[in-house]
Amino acid sequence: MFDVTQVGSWPRSRPLLRALRDHRTGRMSREAFDAVADGEVRRCVQHQLDAGVDIIVDGEQRRDNFYSFITDKLDGTRLMSLAEMLDVLEDKSGFEEMLDTLDVPASAIRNPTCVGKVTRREPLVADDLRFVQQLTDKPVKVTLPGPYLLTRSMWVTAYSKAGYSDKTEMAEDVVAILRDELAELEALGAAFVQFDEPVLTEIVFSEDNDRRTFM
Amino acid sequence: MIEGFEGLRTGIHVCRGNWSRREDVLLTGDYEPLVPAFAAMNVRQLVLEYATPRAGDIAVIGRALADRELGLGVVNPRTAEAESVDFIVDKAEQALRWFTPERLVLNTDCGFGCFANRCVNDEHTAVAKLKSMVAASRMLRERYG
Repeated sequence: MFDVTQVGSWPRSRPLLRALRDHRTGRMSREAFDAVADGEVRRCVQHQLDAGVDIIVDGEQRRDNFYSFITDKLDGTRLMSLAEMLDVLEDKSGFEEMLDTLDVPASAIRNPTCVGKVTRREPLVADDLRFVQQLTDKPVKVTLPGPYLLTRSMWVTAYSKAGYSDKTEMAEDVVAILRDELAELEALGAAFVQFDEPVLTEIVFSEDNDRRTFM
Repeated sequence: MIEGFEGLRTGIHVCRGNWSRREDVLLTGDYEPLVPAFAAMNVRQLVLEYATPRAGDIAVIGRALADRELGLGVVNPRTAEAESVDFIVDKAEQALRWFTPERLVLNTDCGFGCFANRCVNDEHTAVAKLKSMVAASRMLRERYG
């Protein structure tokens, strides 16, 4: 009762931000990146253990953002900054205006765009869970982007048509991929699996809910 | 989505945005419009922000969905000061009007760094906020354990 935990992500250190950038642009190998990120996850977990937190997370230290990271794991996806996407959007000016009004930096936020048939090359989070489980005996929680957030963000018609006739068809693969992940997480003994669906509030609280989402 | 995984403890997290420290650009409104969607979902826990007044009254969820666990957001990840233990205990006691102690989890409202290049806080403050939550949890366990 009254267990203490956190939603999932932890601040990134400067060395980690540098490593994320260098790995993204191909200047750092996966092995070198993992070595940096492993150390950051260790420190993040230690902070939680020292504070007395009950359910531990890895701080999403390996992720560019809480949903774009899937491009590291899934074929048929490509990481694109919102600025890069602007040119192909149906409602370019409306989207730009929204980013402006909401104080969203188009170059710093990246999207996992579907550019073909989406398949799971490697687990989304199962390896991260395994790593944290080695660091503590406490229960470990993992976070996954929800199926609605993924479908809404991944679909960019100009690119996604290469893999699917429409968004619904792509969504079926998204759900299947998440279910494969759940089976693995269950087998590993995940204490808690949280799906992030912030877009649900965007739909009910923003004035124009048909426009593209960015979060 | 989660059919067949009933043995796994699952939850859904919904918030009103966490990309800026400017409260005026983040979304506002209680969870009322989402209650039917939550009710139709088979998840065990709702992980919801409540540390900010923008999230509305806990009663909205409490009245309709007290059969679930509530991951109660008790600290704002975007502010420079850690919430006091009293603030957190008070939030939890508001939730106890609907949820049993077993069904309450103390949570942050959202992550401290959802977007790597736009983290909303520093590690030092994040640790201070976790420590406040742990102190509040100890007090609540003494009172209701």
